[in-house]
Amino acid sequence: MALLTGTGLIVKIVLLILIGFSVISWAIIMFKLFQVHRANSESVRFMDFFWKSKRFDAIASQVDRFASSPLTVLFNEGYGELKKVVEGGGVSEGSALSTDLGGVENVSRALRRATNSEITRLEKYLTFLATTGSTSPFIGLFGTVWGIMTAFEGIGRTGSASLAVVAPGIAEALIATAIGLVAAIPAVMAYNHFQHKIRVLIKEMDNFSTEFLNIVQRNIAGK
Amino acid sequence: MNSRQSRADTGMGVSCIVSTVIHLAVFLLLVWWGKLFPVNMAIQETYYVDVVNLPVADPRAGSPVQKGNEAEIAPPPPAAPAREMSLPEKPKQGAASAKPDAKTAKSPDANADAALAERIAKIARSAEARSEEAVMERLRSKLKSAGSGRSGMPAAGGTEQGSDYSAYIQSRLKDAFRNTISYSSKNPEMIVRLFIDSGGKLTRRVSERSSGDRAFELAVMRAIDMASEKFPPPPDKKLFEGVFVFKPQGITPTRGK
Repeated sequence: MALLTGTGLIVKIVLLILIGFSVISWAIIMFKLFQVHRANSESVRFMDFFWKSKRFDAIASQVDRFASSPLTVLFNEGYGELKKVVEGGGVSEGSALSTDLGGVENVSRALRRATNSEITRLEKYLTFLATTGSTSPFIGLFGTVWGIMTAFEGIGRTGSASLAVVAPGIAEALIATAIGLVAAIPAVMAYNHFQHKIRVLIKEMDNFSTEFLNIVQRNIAGK
Repeated sequence: MNSRQSRADTGMGVSCIVSTVIHLAVFLLLVWWGKLFPVNMAIQETYYVDVVNLPVADPRAGSPVQKGNEAEIAPPPPAAPAREMSLPEKPKQGAASAKPDAKTAKSPDANADAALAERIAKIARSAEARSEEAVMERLRSKLKSAGSGRSGMPAAGGTEQGSDYSAYIQSRLKDAFRNTISYSSKNPEMIVRLFIDSGGKLTRRVSERSSGDRAFELAVMRAIDMASEKFPPPPDKKLFEGVFVFKPQGITPTRGK
């Protein structure tokens, strides 16, 4: 306790910044844990449901049950685009083949766009974790250097170099580095963890897009 | 898309609050832990035991030096007769051990005589060993008492207690000065006159001369402050006044009165 109250103004500001970093990065860690966990589990359930169902409109009516999965977003986007294409294609019956191919292209583009926006959503706030992980040790180090500088100034003023004079100032200064590391270590660990989880989810989305396009093409070609 | 975004943000707000609460909890836990097991940062009490000042370390105890001298003189007298006894025994022991050998070699029927002689020799030997041991013991004790009592204080006869008190103060100042010393000029020097009242309290300190090194002066003052916490009362409830010359190499007392 005395270690915190005895520090100078600059070191106090550094400590406040670091504690703020720590609070926000833990908030992000918890939020992301929750988000990624739900996205994963609901994706698994959605894929089960998707392969069991026979019709897209049946899936579309049930899709709200899996709202947290990025795959449902892909499905909604793809299904909406497909509906528009089919409705538009129904009017111009003359050039069926070219419309069909164009329709598949449209659906593919819609899926790619939805995938991108989902990746953005999943990776939101993650940069803050990376920033915390890489900068907070330096901020802490800055606080320590500053604290030691003032400690040495004090030593110069009193003209005494005994350990009793030097030690408290340095101990106070080192607190800043300690808190910087405390903020940085979980942030780096969580960042790597989420990077991996999100890469898995992106792969899943890619696979789902391919499957969806295959089904669409098969059905339109078979029509 | 909009609804999704807003839901994500509310989740973020909730986890922000949870994170703040967790940080507060950890902080309070640390504070509580620190209260439960406080970090002991107090400077440990130093107990001064130095050979030179041991007899007058506590001047209130009278004059231990005198007493020590008398107590020491007592042991030597008994040592003298013991040594005298042991010395003549030495050749006797050699003769006794040589005699039985010669006898056994000369005649085998003189066995009983030889055994008797040998027994006498054994007794003599053990007696000699015992007396020798006693002499050694006395010597050792004499050495020991001489070492603790008089060595290091050749001049102190117990009458110059004021000078011993000054030496004691000098020693305390030296210990404190070792912790505080600092200087910025080449050969700083400072002469300080200290006044200590009958209760052992530093009443006044006067800087008589200084080489003008500010850092050194501060160090000297701090050393005096530190040392004065441990000053004992001067002997015979007299006021003490002493002049000390502080140099980076050490402290030399100059008799004030």
